[in-house]
Amino acid sequence: MTTTRVEVLGIRHHGPGSARSLLGALDELEPEVLVIEGAPELDALVASAADANLVPPVAALAYAAETPRRAVFYPLAVFSPEWVALRWAAARGVPVRFADLPAAHVLAGDERAEVGRRTDPIGALAQAAGYDDAERWWEDAVEHRSGSSLESFAAIREAMAEVRAASDDEDDENLVREAAMRRVLRAVVKEGPARVAVVCGAYHAPALHPDAWPPATQDTKRLAGLPRTKVAVTWAPWTANRLALASGYGAGVRSPGWYQHLFVSWQQHDEVVTGWLSRVARALRDEGLDASPAGVVEATRMAEALAAVRARPSVGLSELSDATQTVLCGGSDLPLRLIDERLVIGEDLGRVPDTVPLTPLAQDLARLQRSLRVKPTASTSSITLDLRKEAQRERSVLLHRLRLLGVPWGRPTDAGRSTGTFKEAWDLRWEPELAVGLIEAGLYGTTVHEAAEAKLVEDAGSAPDLATLGRMVGECLTADLPRGLAAVVDTLAERTAHQHDVLALLEAIEPLARTQRYGDVRGADTRKVAGVLHIVVTRAAVGLRAACASLDDDAAAAMRRAVDAADRGVALVELASVTDPWRAAVLAVSADDRIHGLVAGRANRLLLDRGALGSDDVARRMSRRLSLGADAVAGAAWLDGFLEGDPLLLLHDPALLGLVDTWVAGAEESTFEDLLPLLRRTFSRFDAAARRQIGVRLRRPDAEHGPAPTDLDLDRGLPAALTVAEILGLARVDAS
Amino acid sequence: MTDPSIPDPQAGGDGVLRAHAEDQYAAELAALADVDDRPRPPRWRLSPWAVTTYLLGGRLVDGTEISAKYVGPRRLIEIAVASLATDRALLLLGVPGTAKTWVSEHLAAAVSGSSTLVVQGTAGTAEESLRYGWNYARLLAEGPSRAALVESPVMRAMESGSLVRIEELTRIPADVQDALISILSEKSLPVPELDLEVQALAGFNVIATANNRDKGVNDLSSALKRRFNTLVLPLPDSLEQEVEIVRTRVAAIGRSLQLPADLESMSEIARVVQIFRELRSGVTLDQRTTVKSPSATLSTAEAISVMTNGSALAAHFGDGVVRADDVAASITGAVVKDPVQDRIVWQEYLETVVKDRPEWTDLYRACRELA
Repeated sequence: MTTTRVEVLGIRHHGPGSARSLLGALDELEPEVLVIEGAPELDALVASAADANLVPPVAALAYAAETPRRAVFYPLAVFSPEWVALRWAAARGVPVRFADLPAAHVLAGDERAEVGRRTDPIGALAQAAGYDDAERWWEDAVEHRSGSSLESFAAIREAMAEVRAASDDEDDENLVREAAMRRVLRAVVKEGPARVAVVCGAYHAPALHPDAWPPATQDTKRLAGLPRTKVAVTWAPWTANRLALASGYGAGVRSPGWYQHLFVSWQQHDEVVTGWLSRVARALRDEGLDASPAGVVEATRMAEALAAVRARPSVGLSELSDATQTVLCGGSDLPLRLIDERLVIGEDLGRVPDTVPLTPLAQDLARLQRSLRVKPTASTSSITLDLRKEAQRERSVLLHRLRLLGVPWGRPTDAGRSTGTFKEAWDLRWEPELAVGLIEAGLYGTTVHEAAEAKLVEDAGSAPDLATLGRMVGECLTADLPRGLAAVVDTLAERTAHQHDVLALLEAIEPLARTQRYGDVRGADTRKVAGVLHIVVTRAAVGLRAACASLDDDAAAAMRRAVDAADRGVALVELASVTDPWRAAVLAVSADDRIHGLVAGRANRLLLDRGALGSDDVARRMSRRLSLGADAVAGAAWLDGFLEGDPLLLLHDPALLGLVDTWVAGAEESTFEDLLPLLRRTFSRFDAAARRQIGVRLRRPDAEHGPAPTDLDLDRGLPAALTVAEILGLARVDAS
Repeated sequence: MTDPSIPDPQAGGDGVLRAHAEDQYAAELAALADVDDRPRPPRWRLSPWAVTTYLLGGRLVDGTEISAKYVGPRRLIEIAVASLATDRALLLLGVPGTAKTWVSEHLAAAVSGSSTLVVQGTAGTAEESLRYGWNYARLLAEGPSRAALVESPVMRAMESGSLVRIEELTRIPADVQDALISILSEKSLPVPELDLEVQALAGFNVIATANNRDKGVNDLSSALKRRFNTLVLPLPDSLEQEVEIVRTRVAAIGRSLQLPADLESMSEIARVVQIFRELRSGVTLDQRTTVKSPSATLSTAEAISVMTNGSALAAHFGDGVVRADDVAASITGAVVKDPVQDRIVWQEYLETVVKDRPEWTDLYRACRELA
């Protein structure tokens, strides 16, 4: 041990400043072994870290082999000190060992693995020094201070020892983890290398320095008797966006793009401030916003003046954002959001080589395929699933979830002649590119269920319109994703509020109502849906009258379809709180003569069918709309809207038929020529038998109730009548 | 963010109705100048730090309490001060009632010690107000001479190296606005009639205010826009803050109009402010229901006028206590500016939000009666 020099390099997780200092320190020290903070299981990944196809942001991932849901992620970006160290070692062939509490113990605990609860002590130091950006503090306080990076790391370690001494809440978890780190270190030292570098979070640095090591037995005692489970590790592609998530290393970073800019600028000795503002200007120009070079100069001056007013030694991200908003964006914060998305966070997507072990998502799928007994085959096989049976329903759920994840292993086909909703038919065919889709889907989670849910939640946020969201509500049901349903419904509720387009609101009603009516069957929580449905119907009802005003023919046709669909939806739920405002709104539309005939006619028909309007009222309205004074073409439209659907109405209400007949007969010849195509279209929708019956009725208007039965054979008809009575549950009256 | 303090009638003295900022807060400015040992830009009375402190309030090392002139995010005032320090002109944008004028007045008072160099922008503002005019009697009697020249506030500010304020910049006709371009970029004002040129001294700068709701009044040309650092002053952050601002202002206006309404128990204020905030932000206070926003601004200033209206109704036609009936009409009037779209928005809000709040039944009924 005396011959080995152990240097502890305390870094800030995801700190580009630390990464830069670390490179200097490693070059200075030239260690023979490199120890990095991280579960020792990750040692298996070191070999693939040298692969050029491993492109950050990536995450080293340790998960419980039995339950992949439980996992620890160690996300790494280009500027992460751990990544820099890994690549440094890979380039020089220096062996790397990971040191931390083994994931086998972490993931064996009862709760879901939570290793993200780590503090940012360097951030605390920076804050104490008046910086809001710890990286700028590192640059000013560490980089510009001393010639030797190793010395500055020693200074950091001493400062951190003070921080730790000052706060006495040593939490148990940290003590155990540090004991585990020292155990690895002792093993490394035993092998007798001349120089060892330890890369760990600054907070742990004082505890890992060889002078502070307690006796080995004390650490061993602390680590004894921990539960363990089987753990697998792999690399997973990551996104800049997800670096902000708290897991594995530290609490996540809010501005990975900015950090990357800092790191790259430092590496290439570029100007940080002007470089950043030039990139901002370019991003603004890409979006068609003015951002002149003169503006960049002014923004630079502004950022520097702001730093001076705030008494900061150098310009940070907050000054740059403020300067961008005031100088380049005309005070508006909308373009700034774009900058946030594009530059501050960044849109990088990581890549992993094909050689890395299977992702947990793929393993989960393999497990499901085994337990549900569906084998992936390269040829097409068709299956029909009966959703009333548990096992078959689970298969259907799996296929639906995979489709959501962009892995269309099964394609739904026509279930045949059955009209029931309990049957589904699928064509299954596994193609090699589906494996690729599976890797991409791995970004969303470690199990099919979790990933599908996460993807659905994300998609809901970016859904373009209400119709898409309505469809997604249905997908939530078929894929059995109650949490996804909650998210979709929330988004839907929010969107409906912003939606000024009543048509879109109307179209959202039916899928929602369907979900509320049938959701229970699949065990979804429908209370929330009911709430949203209520709001959507109320909003649509309030706006319906105004939305129906001044429509042209095409718009009126779309509106009629939407009103129809909405009415079907409302009829499904049968709740007074939903039905009443809707009926009132339709009533208002039906009574208004200024509304396009297609819509008004339809409204009258809907109310008549639902019994909300008597046929006398309807007859009066029809007579008014079809009277000679009114425009005949508008009357035809009204009739079209009114008559669509079941033709029996005309057969059974002679008053209505009479009105139509009188109107057609009374039309002038020139008007009649205009009417003919419209009427033809209306009536051609009825089947031939109905048309013929209407014709017969019109030829003999005196026949009150259809062709009078002249020669009824009551004896022959009795058995049939009795059977019908029985089906209807009517009490049998004695024949006498 | 609307100025929360009512000008103290005692300050300023001499019986003026409203004293200038630099007179009213002379003591605070003097105290700041005493302790201020930080570097000052040329011709600034105070350092940028001291100007920031003057606006945001705080306690000085010698124990002097500086009152807060602006209640809102610190970074906004920092940006404003930094802009002035870089010799870039500053444009304060915001809906009515966001204290734009108030902030610009205090900035000028703190930086240059005087807030009196001001051009009030109107549709009739002529180029003479921004450049210079002539005393025609003298011009005819003596011919063109420096003595016959009438300097604009802008020209005086250039000569003395101080701040000049331009109020309601977007109300000034576009061709007159253009006169500012050369002043802002070249910092000089030629007088060809006398063959001379006034060059701005260091310390000269312009603070302009404009209302960003009045689109298309006289929108700034992009050449002019480019010469300004733009700062948008937002509406108040929290309900409590806004209620307090409305309460003090309504009380002050009520006093001057001699309305005997009972102001202390005006629980309606909280309700009106809440309604306005919810409609403005498009989401209810509990973040649970999203609502549509009407085309009206619904700023703090509007809430103040609704409440003033309500207390006038209550005082003259009621028992002096402001109730739902007294504010319902003016709320509806404030929200529904566009008779079609806004009416739908308001009705929707009534049906989906107000109706579901049991303690708001009176207001719901009062508004329904009007609808």
